[in-house]
Amino acid sequence: MKYKSRLNEPHNLPGTLVCVEGIDGSGKSTQLVILRDWLKSLKQDVIFTEWNSSDLISQTTKLAKKKNLLSPRTFSLLHAVDFADRLEQIIIPALKAGFIVLADRYVYTAFSRDVARGVDRDWVRKVYGFAVKPDLTLYFRVSEEVSLERICSNRSPKFYEAGMDLKISNDPYESYKIFQKRVNDEYKKMIDEYGLIEVDANESIHKKQLYFREKVKEVLAQKGITL
Amino acid sequence: MAQYKSKHGYEGLLIVIEGTDGSGKSTQISRLKRWIEDQSYGVMVSEWKTSMFIADAINDAKERNLLNATTFSLLYAADFADRLENIILPALKAGFVVILDRYVYTAYARDKVRGHDIEWLKNLYDYAPEPDMVFYLDVPVEILLKRIIGTTGLDYWESGRDIGLSRDFYKSFQIYQGKCLEEYHKMIDEYGFISLDGTLNEKDIHKKIVNEVKKLLDV
Repeated sequence: MKYKSRLNEPHNLPGTLVCVEGIDGSGKSTQLVILRDWLKSLKQDVIFTEWNSSDLISQTTKLAKKKNLLSPRTFSLLHAVDFADRLEQIIIPALKAGFIVLADRYVYTAFSRDVARGVDRDWVRKVYGFAVKPDLTLYFRVSEEVSLERICSNRSPKFYEAGMDLKISNDPYESYKIFQKRVNDEYKKMIDEYGLIEVDANESIHKKQLYFREKVKEVLAQKGITL
Repeated sequence: MAQYKSKHGYEGLLIVIEGTDGSGKSTQISRLKRWIEDQSYGVMVSEWKTSMFIADAINDAKERNLLNATTFSLLYAADFADRLENIILPALKAGFVVILDRYVYTAYARDKVRGHDIEWLKNLYDYAPEPDMVFYLDVPVEILLKRIIGTTGLDYWESGRDIGLSRDFYKSFQIYQGKCLEEYHKMIDEYGFISLDGTLNEKDIHKKIVNEVKKLLDV
């Protein structure tokens, strides 16, 4: 018997799920915020949800990170707890109520980061098999060098974002580049696998936003909503 | 050369005692531990839901009644992953006899009753080493009820109150534990549990367990 993942089938709920993905410094959050304000100005019902933000578990995850005590698999499961909590509490109810749900990072973040940390690719996909398939996911592609410049212009890379737990390099800058390249490589594989739409993050904020709005309009039009 | 013939390839042995709350697991585990120590082997016991960070998170979430069926499963899986990597595997590699109070079968039983797909559950735990021996202490619901009411009292989660089986606490426990027992029974053959009548007196159960464990140890 094969486990059927919800991630590969349309959700059939009245609402619309729009996600942004990409490594830090790709500008995805900026794009999502601008999009939200625009949708709100058009009187659309919108809610916003971020990765690792449920109050059920995020404190535990933060504490454990501080102490560097957990294995990649345990972290993966804790992030899945956080996601499952937000999915049931926020995302699905909002989709049922017909909202446009904007998610800053979705399961693809787990698929890229956890696999970059050595977690089995197939395993983590099955763990998240209960997730709802997004209507639209934009992947903002930025090179690890540009990401590093943007994130670390006035600070050094943090332990986990640099993948220092993997002991690739003692130099956090070097480690950051190697680790984030792995994450980007995983994202690239998902473009075909999950139909992520790739966006060149080097484009101007304005140009990216115009493109984003076009895509959102298309998706909403399929549901009979014209903006 | 390894001390024992194990199923998982590690130096040590993995012995699991399964059963619902009130089935007498803890009593049998402390007896078995003492007996194995007397035979001059190193023994370590690890209980379900005891990892350093995650167990607290589970207890806290349960207290605040924040869990749904999926977060419930995943939190327990995280607890297990942490204990496996930090406690169980190091002990197995060092040649200990590891006695586990509950194992993945507990998750399979409870989470199936909470409506999860068994294939999804098996994937969550697919990296868990195969135990060398699994004892299952079988106790009918009516006796479990008496034991629990007489000791700890009926717990919200152990009564399956979160899944809305009945508004009556007693009835809910009866239905929930009954369903869990059904799941355990289905696993007896599938996983080769050694099923023991948990209503016998504790000395007799201990003797039966020791007779089986002797087959694994060179005593």
